[in-house]
This record gives sequence, structure tokens and C-alpha cells, in this order.
Amino acid sequence: MVKRIQIILTSILVSLILLSGCRDPFEPDVTMMDLNYLVVEGFIEIDAQESILRLSRTTPLRGENPFRVESGALISLISDNGFTWEFVEKEAGTYALTGTFDPNLTYKINILLNNNQEYESDPLVPKISPPIQELSFTRNEDGVNIQVSTQGTENALYFLWDYEETWLFRPPFPTPFIFNPETRGIDLRKPEQQVGLCWLENKVNRIILDNAGRFSNFRINQKDMVFIPNLSEKLMTRYSISVRQRALDKDAFDFWEIMRKNTEDIGGIFSPLPSLIRGNIHPVNSSNTSAIGFVSMGKSSKERLYINVQDVRPWQVFIPDYLACLLDSDTIPPAAYALEFSGPNYSPVFQVVNEMGAILGYRGAETRCADCTLRGSNVRPDFWED
Amino acid sequence: MKKVLFFLLIGLVLSIGRSEGQVRSQSDEEKINGLFAGIPFKRFTQLIETSTNFRFYFSEEETKSISVNISAIDNSLNQVLSGIFENTGFVFTIDDKNRVFITKGKKLDLALPDDFFIRKTAEGVQDSLSRLSDIERTFSRNKLYVIGSTTGGKEAVLKGRVTGIETGNPVFGAIVFEKINFTRAIANENGEFQIKLPLGRHTLFIQNLGGFVEQRQISLQGDGILDIAIEENVISLSEVVVSSEKMTNISRPEMGVQKLNIQSMKKIPAILGEVDVIRSILTLPGVQTVGEASVGFNVRGGAADQNLILFNHATIYNPSHLFGLFSAFNPDMVEAVDLYKAGIPTKYGGRLSSVLDVNAKYGDPEKIRVKGGIGLLTGRLTVEGPIGENTTFIVGGRSTYSDWLLNVLEENTDLNNARASFYDFNFNLSHKINAKNTLRLNTYLSSDNFRFDRDTLFQYQNQNVNLSWVHYFNERLELETVIGRDHYNFGIEGRDSPPNAFDLGFDIKQHFLKANFTYALDERHKLNFGASTIDFRLQPGFIAPSGSESIIIPEEVNPERAMETAFYVGDDFEINDRLSVNYGARYVFYRYLGPNTVRVYEQGQPISSSTQIGEQGYGPGENIKTYHGPEFRLSGRYILNNVSSIKAGYNTNRQFIHLLTNNAAIAPTDVWKLSDPNIRPQWGDQISIGYYRNLKIDTYEFSIETYHRNMKNLIDFRSGSTLLLNNTIEQDILRTDGRAYGAEILLRKNTGKLNGWVSYTYSRSLLRTAEEETAEKINDGNWYPNNFDQPHNAVLVGNYEWSKRFSTSVNANYSTGRPITLPIAKFNYGGSERVFFSDRNEFRIPDYFRLDFSVNIEGNHKVRKLAHSSWSVGVYNLLGRRNPYSVYFTPVNGILQGYQLSIFAQPIPFVTYNFRI
Repeated sequence: MVKRIQIILTSILVSLILLSGCRDPFEPDVTMMDLNYLVVEGFIEIDAQESILRLSRTTPLRGENPFRVESGALISLISDNGFTWEFVEKEAGTYALTGTFDPNLTYKINILLNNNQEYESDPLVPKISPPIQELSFTRNEDGVNIQVSTQGTENALYFLWDYEETWLFRPPFPTPFIFNPETRGIDLRKPEQQVGLCWLENKVNRIILDNAGRFSNFRINQKDMVFIPNLSEKLMTRYSISVRQRALDKDAFDFWEIMRKNTEDIGGIFSPLPSLIRGNIHPVNSSNTSAIGFVSMGKSSKERLYINVQDVRPWQVFIPDYLACLLDSDTIPPAAYALEFSGPNYSPVFQVVNEMGAILGYRGAETRCADCTLRGSNVRPDFWED
Repeated sequence: MKKVLFFLLIGLVLSIGRSEGQVRSQSDEEKINGLFAGIPFKRFTQLIETSTNFRFYFSEEETKSISVNISAIDNSLNQVLSGIFENTGFVFTIDDKNRVFITKGKKLDLALPDDFFIRKTAEGVQDSLSRLSDIERTFSRNKLYVIGSTTGGKEAVLKGRVTGIETGNPVFGAIVFEKINFTRAIANENGEFQIKLPLGRHTLFIQNLGGFVEQRQISLQGDGILDIAIEENVISLSEVVVSSEKMTNISRPEMGVQKLNIQSMKKIPAILGEVDVIRSILTLPGVQTVGEASVGFNVRGGAADQNLILFNHATIYNPSHLFGLFSAFNPDMVEAVDLYKAGIPTKYGGRLSSVLDVNAKYGDPEKIRVKGGIGLLTGRLTVEGPIGENTTFIVGGRSTYSDWLLNVLEENTDLNNARASFYDFNFNLSHKINAKNTLRLNTYLSSDNFRFDRDTLFQYQNQNVNLSWVHYFNERLELETVIGRDHYNFGIEGRDSPPNAFDLGFDIKQHFLKANFTYALDERHKLNFGASTIDFRLQPGFIAPSGSESIIIPEEVNPERAMETAFYVGDDFEINDRLSVNYGARYVFYRYLGPNTVRVYEQGQPISSSTQIGEQGYGPGENIKTYHGPEFRLSGRYILNNVSSIKAGYNTNRQFIHLLTNNAAIAPTDVWKLSDPNIRPQWGDQISIGYYRNLKIDTYEFSIETYHRNMKNLIDFRSGSTLLLNNTIEQDILRTDGRAYGAEILLRKNTGKLNGWVSYTYSRSLLRTAEEETAEKINDGNWYPNNFDQPHNAVLVGNYEWSKRFSTSVNANYSTGRPITLPIAKFNYGGSERVFFSDRNEFRIPDYFRLDFSVNIEGNHKVRKLAHSSWSVGVYNLLGRRNPYSVYFTPVNGILQGYQLSIFAQPIPFVTYNFRI
């Protein structure tokens, strides 16, 4: 509610009253100072699912280099009755642990970096999330809204959702043909070579939080998760969203709320000032640099929703990547196949035959307009249901 | 040759009517120097009068033919005049007072009858200037009027009547003063004045309401009468206020006081052509704002909620329309504003930083007048005048008249159905019951509605009414009693979808009663004492479901009630002619009252939900917590000489009502909160010292003031706190100390075709988490800049009058960018790139610079014309500079991108038409 008011106020002032207000890119002369703080991210699942912790380092704001992962650390989960479980480094900076943990105990995380700096978490009390009650969508004139409803309890008031989106798309000229360099001819594509239908996924998430304590009976009703605007390719044929719901305690909620405000809510006229990011990970020796991150523990619940284009029709699609895609009118004769189609940028798309059924050649298009694997993957994800 | 040129220059200046510049020489044998080549005799006499003590008396008609062609080197006047009058038939006589009488043929007989002056005085009228021509008026300024017959004693009383030169009407409010001891008198409604002066020579200055300064040379020998006719300012008689700052700049004992009359405000180019009180005071040194769309202003490093804004006794909690685009004061209703930055009089209290006293009018006593105007967004109309003999009224309204502006905007945005409207309304009445009693009624209503989409309506209102009764016990004792009610409320109606439909809002009500005595104890002491009490009732926030389908839980922050009572006494003590002090004290009792439930926390522990040990309920009217304490107000002035003085002051203040804001600007959703057992009252003190000097015979006034302030129990917030609908707000508050210091330099030119001011302010405003606060230490407990800390600020307001009807104004404004907390590192978290922020307010946004320009065109000034009209045309932000209001970083497609947000990023032209009947 408060956020909504903030957004409304900001929008009013930014886009409306201030008739000639404007927004320009801004590159401040901020120092290239490298703080190099440890960043800890993760959630410990108590119910035999894999728990992932990621360790990394902050980078300078204008640093070009990719995020630095923190490799070679020893991470242990310690229960208050003295048991210890060790995380295994799956890939650089990513540590995993699978196990079943008693939700009635209190735990803590201990991190020993390979430079011998040691960090420890505040006590972790597992929180069990109620199931997602409903994942639904509504179509309106601007697009499609995907909403989540859940039933909180006295013990599960604060919720954090994240999601993964996956959808199918087609290029403008899906082609069943492929140039065979050995025969210098054109073959039909095998199933594993098909490039006419691909999956694309989006993992860039917003933080979605809510407090069930604000509503009668702690019921969160149709909380907006994702908005798919008109013309989006996500609903070209079939779309799927998987939502994970976690219950948090108040401190974790505050942390995520600050994180959200700091990233998504800063800079409007009425936006709050950025706040200090804290977390529940602290250096054991106070002379070490601080850490950023809040590790929570508990049982999450998941729900998946599929939307077909039939459900939202009419749905027009515009994909900027496919601007200026044309099917060439020239027919490429067999003698010229190698010349035209052996390169990576041009593909046979349309077979030209005469009245007798003999193949005269192929009309071609740019490969970017014909091959969906240049943007997505033609490998069907494990979870995908048709 | 240079000397001659210099002479001639002075002569030139004088000949167009500048007469303040005569130099008095005490020498009896004054020598004449200079080349007087082919100038009329009249000019010659003026030149001589400028440089010597001689005064000429002659008939202009008769001497018209005389041309002076003479070169004088250390000649006596006798020699020079003999040369001039050779063979002309004119003769001259010089008496012992250096008066030169020019006559034709026969010398003037200087032996007057003994009772000559006495008889003239008895006739009552000595100065019948209204019969003189304009040119001769200049002459009467320098003529010496001898008044009264020599009597015993050292002082004499001069009485008289000030009338208008054209109309002959009495000039109410004209000030008669002299500049040696700053004795002054004010003409009453019949134009009559009375002034007590030492015997001897004086230069009396007579200042009309905002008009020219007239002067008379008098030699006071005993009680007598001097009637004076002065020029009335026909153009704007009813719009102008006494601009007595000229002398008060030096002589008033308080410091840090800025006066701005509506006339000056009109010269400042305003957004959309609307004269704007708040924006006008932003041009004064020491007053700053964080941005253009903010409601509040900051005085000497104080927060926006530390300003008490009074509109004829009414406290205005939101002085703006359209979220800060316009100020909520109808310019036609305003007479003048006083801004007290330091020398806050004892009768005011309750805020730490400043008092902005907006004085509204009570109506013209002469006849019904109608005024109005129409601008791009608003129209306004004011009617004022007398009802019967003893009653005057003024009623004014202003309203948006169309949504065209928003309609234009709609084309550029995807926001449909946006509607904004506002209005304000004033009705003031003054009734003189009899000579000793006057009643005044003030009412004010302002309302804003803003619909952002068809679902959400924002609205806020100020409603104020008060009644004041002024009673004169005798000539020395006066009592003003005011009773009133102020009300401000804010609300949002959300009708997004039936399950989420809500009403949200808060309001403030206060009832007040004030009694203020002024008592002129004797000539040296002027006492001011009284009492005031305010009964606050706040509803700090509620949300309620709307409609039966809504699942919003009604929520309400406990209503609050408090009483603030103060007793005060102050004395304006003129110790001697040079030294004057103004000292006083207030004692404030504040009681936080039930019904309410107050949370109790462990002693000595940071206030948080985990240290809460209980709750205590209180019944209606039950005393929950009392705070009380004294406030001191002290300022003194020492006059160094005729043109300069120094002043110093110290004052303390307490504040019991706080605005909870997490933004740099005041947002309308920011709620007010009263001090309670867990939130202590703010306390602040200020020490200031200043030097004041008038230059070039009061043409320029210069001042420099420096100050240092300490503040305690300010409110800052813990990370991630939510302020709206928070019933345990004390768990999100950090007790904070404040410190502010700076210097303000002002150079002002009040008269002449070119007028205006230049000001420069250096100021710092810093905060530090209080030592005893353990919950969280912002920036490790070090001093950090306040959100509105802008060290350098320079303002130029210039106005050039090309003619009486055509003037141009320029306003230039520079300030350091305000502090901001910038991201300094990035990291990946929750699937996105995130930012890590620097210490609080470690960096600054780019500097601010803006230039505005406007042209004011008055219609012609025929007195009997039916309606007077004027146009104001101009451009706001002429250079179109994109001044950043704010900068922020946000991930765009997962990549962190910085943006700066500007408001009014291009030149904004405006035009306003005003009329007056």
C-alpha cells in the first residue's frame, strides 16, 4: 500500500505535473575504490532439497570485470545441538548441501575463507511457508498480469517470492532445411537440429515482498507478480512461470525490503533515502571487512503456471531482434548452395519446385531470422509440459 | 577640469530631482569654485546649494532670462552674484543664515517684524505645497522651515498633517522620521502626526506607503505645526506596504529579520506568472530549498518542519498547492511577509528555525475595489472595501479554471484521466467598534484535488478561522486577543479494485487562544507580554476499507492530544540613543494527554520491539507526559554611526510537533507526530552576530550576519523504516543532534530605476546520531550532512524600471548541489545486480543554477480610468538548464544505470493578466 502510494506520487511528479521534467543518464564521478566486501546469498531448505549458498565479492560500480566469486571457502551449518554439516563447492563460488533438518532447532552458518577470514551468521530459525494457494492471471487492455494468492499464518507473516519464466518462441522464418557441408546439398533437419521453436528463460527477478499481517485473516489476495505487456513474445505460443514462496522472519523481511528499496525505489521525488544494507552475516574478527547478505532457512513452496496464447487472444507479437527480416525473392540454384549457404549468416528457408516437382533451388533469409537457437535453446527443459 | 565635471555631474543628478545629496558646510565664508558655462540661473543655484550652505529664494519666472556664464576660483558668493547680475536690474541679499534672496530692483529688507514667525505658526498652515508646481517641490525640500517661537526646554512637539499632493486626502500610515536619533511618528487615518524632537535643525523625512521619500528642513524653536503635502503613489496605493527597512535595517534591534512586501515579490519572476510568497522568500539569504517541487523550505540549516507559517494568526501546515508547484497564498490578499530567522519575538514559539508571518489585508477603507488576474492555470478575484463607516472587508478566491495543461500533458504520457484542481478562499473582516476596540475576523480555506488515474484521488485541505480583538486601554497599553482553529487534512481514496479499495489519511486540528499585551512603559521601554495555548488533536493516520468487498483491514494509529501553553514577556529597551536591547523569555508547558496507549521500554536500552516491557493505557484528558522549560530571546543593537550598526542575538526554542519524513522534500504523505514519552521535544539554540551598513545615503543597504545553531532530539530514521501507519514509530526513530552554522551577506538597492538585491549565503547543516542512541549509528556516529545542506548559495534579484509602466526583472539563483548517498559498489543478489551505498550523504548532486526573466507592463495610470490592468510575461529557467533534482540508479535489463531527474528542465514561458477596478 505504502509502496503503491510512493509509486503513484513519484509517477505524478515525475511524469505529469512537472510538465518539462526529464530524466538524463548520470555518471557520477564516484571513486573507483574497491570495497571488496563479501556477499553471501542463499536459502537453506530443510526438506531434502538442495540448498545453495553463493559467495562473491562486491566490485567497483564502474568496474567492467564480471562478478568475482569467492572460491575455496569452507561453509558449515551447525545446529544448536552440536551437529555440523559441510557444504560442497559445486562450481566456483557456489556451495551446495542437501539434507533434512529439524525445523525445531536453531542453526548457524560458519564461513571460513581461504584467506582465513572467518564469518558467522546470526542464529537461523527455520520458517515453514504455507503452500501457494493460487497462481492466476488476468488479461486487461494493457497486457497480462500474473498474481499470487496465499494464506499466511501467525507464524508466517512475511513472504518473499521469486520466479523463473520460460516461454516458447518462433523465428519469422523457421526453416526445416540445413546445408550439408559434406554433400554440399540441402538436407532436412533432424529433430535435434530443429531451429523453428525454442525456449527462452528469464531469471532477472524483481524482489517481491509482502506482509500478510496487513490483511484480514492474513490472506494475501492476488498479489501482482509479473506483468507481461502487450506485444511481448512471452505469450507467442506458450508461457510458463514457476513461483517460489518463502516465509521470512521480520529481520530478513527488513533486509529484503531495504534491498528492494535501494534498487528499485530510489530517486523519485518522494522516494525514501537509501538505507544501509545489513544482513545476518558478520565477521568473527571485527577487523575484517563487513559482509552483505541475509541467509534464511526454512521450507519453501513452489507452484507453476502455464499460459497458452489461446487463453489471451488476440495477442500480437513484436520482437525487436527480428526487425528487418526478409525472405529473399531470388532462388539460389543448387550450384550456388555452397557459395550462399555454407556461411553462418544465410540459411535456406523456402524450397522452390517446378510444376513437375523438381527442386529448382532455395530462397534464403538471414540466419538470425531463421534460427531460434541464436536467441534461445531448442532443448526442451525437464519440467516442460505441453 | 575634473573638478568642474564632478560639479556638473552632481548638478545634473540634482536637476532631475535627487535631492538627498546636499553637503552641509559649516564655514561662513564659503568659496565658490567651478566653471558655470551657459547654464540657467536656476541650475546654477542648485549647484551652489549642493556644495555650500547657501539657500536661494527667488522667482523662477523673473530669472528665466538669466544665463550664467562664469568661471569661479575661490570667489565669494558675493563676487560671483555681482558678476552674474551685472546690468540685469536684479539685486541680491544674503542674510545671516546664508539665505540668498534675489529680487528685481529693490533689495529685500531683512528686518522682519518680531512676531513674524509666531503669526505664521498661528495661521496653522505654513506649507501649502499642493499649490506649487513639481519643480518647486524640489525647492521646498531644501527650504528651511522655522517652526515655533523660542521657548524654554530642550524638546518641542511638532504636529501636522500629511496630505496627498494631487488629491489633498490625508495619507494614512505615512512615516515622519529623522535619521539622527531615529525618532519617528506615523500619520493616523486623518493624516495627522505628532513627533517630539530636540530643538534645533533637523532634516525630516516623510515616507509615503512605498512611495517616494519627501523631506523638509526644519529649525525647531518650539511647539508648532507643519503640514506636508507628499506625492501619493497612485499606481498601487492599496498594494504597497511601508518599506521602512531603509532605516530599520540599521536601527531595529532584532536581527535575522527579513521583510518582503508584495511589491517586491511581484518583481520576482515566478513560475507560470503567479506571484508566489514561498518562492519569493527563497530569494532571501539563509533560505533554501532542496528542489523545485518541494513544499518546504529550509531556514539556516533547519528542517522544513521547523518553520512556523502564520497567515494572520492561522498556522498553515501545508503552504502549497499541487504538491509544491504554487504557494497557497493568494497574492492579492497578501500585504507583506516577515521572515524571522533569528530574532524571533517572544510571542512566537513552537518551532526551531523560523517564523514566516504572512500578513493578509483587511480591505480598503475608502471604496469598493475589485482586483483579479488570469494566468495559464489559475484565475483569481478579490473584492475589498468598506461596509459602513467602521467596517472593512476583503474577500478573495483563486482557482484552477481548466485542465488544459494536464490535457496537453496527456499527449506526452500514457496517463489518462489525470485531473488536478485546487482553490483557495479568504474572507477577512475588520470592524472598529469604537475608538478603543477593533474586531478582526480571518478565514482561510484551501483545497487540492488530484486524480492520478481514475482509481486514485489525492486531496488535502487547510481550513483556518480566527477572531481577534484589539483593545486599547490607553495610549500606552494595548491588548490583542485571538481565538481560532486550524485544521489540515490529507487523504487518498484508492478505488483500484473492489477488494483493494481503501481510504487513507491523516489530519491535524488545533484550537488556540492567545493574549498579547504591548505596553509602552516609557520612552525607553516597550514591553510585550502575554500567554498562548494550543490544543492539538492529531489523527496521525488511518486506513479503512471502502465498500463491502474490500479486504483491507482498517488500521488506525492512535489519535494524539496535547496542550502547549506558553507565557512570555519581552522588553524593547532603548538604553541610549545608540544601544538598544530586546530581551525576553518564554516558559513553555507541554502536556501529552490521553486517551492513548503508550508503550514502555526497558530503561537504558535501545527502543525496539524486543525491549518493550509493557503498555500503559490512559483515559481521556489524563496527563501522560509533561515537558516544560524556558526559552530565551535576546538581541541587541549598537549604532556605530548614522549609517552603520552591529547587532548580536541569542535565542533558544523548543518544538513539540514533528514531521515524519524520509525524503529530502516534504511529501504530502508525510505525517505529523506529537512529542510523547518516547519522542522528546526538539530543542535548539542560535547565536548570531551581524554588521549593517547603508551606503550612498541609504540607496544601498548592506548586511552580513553569521550564526551558529545547536539542535537536540532531532529525528532521523533507522534503515528501512516505514513511516506511514506506524503505531510504534519510536522503534524506527534515531535521536539525532544537529549543528548548523553560516554567514549571510546581502546587498540591496531599494530605490532608483535599477533595484533589487544580491545575496550570498554560506551555510552548513550537519547531523549526528545522538551519543545516547544505541540502536543504530548512522555513519558510525560521525557528523554527516543534512539532506538540505547546500554550502554555497547566491541569488540575484534585479529589476529595471524603463518607465513607470514598463519594467523587466531578472532572477538568478545558484546553489551547491544537495548531498546524496551514492552507490559505490555493486554485487549480484536475488538474480539482479544490486548496489551498495556510500555513507549517508557522502556525495553531492551537481550544482543548481537557474535564470528567470520577466517583463511587467502596466496599463496607463489615468486616475479616473475604470480599470487598471497589467501584464506579466516571462520565462522561468531561461537557460533551460537541466538542474538535477535527484539522481538514482536502477537496473535496466539487469545492468545498473544511473539517472538524474530534473524538474522544469526547459524554459517555461508564462503570461498573466491582472486587473484592478
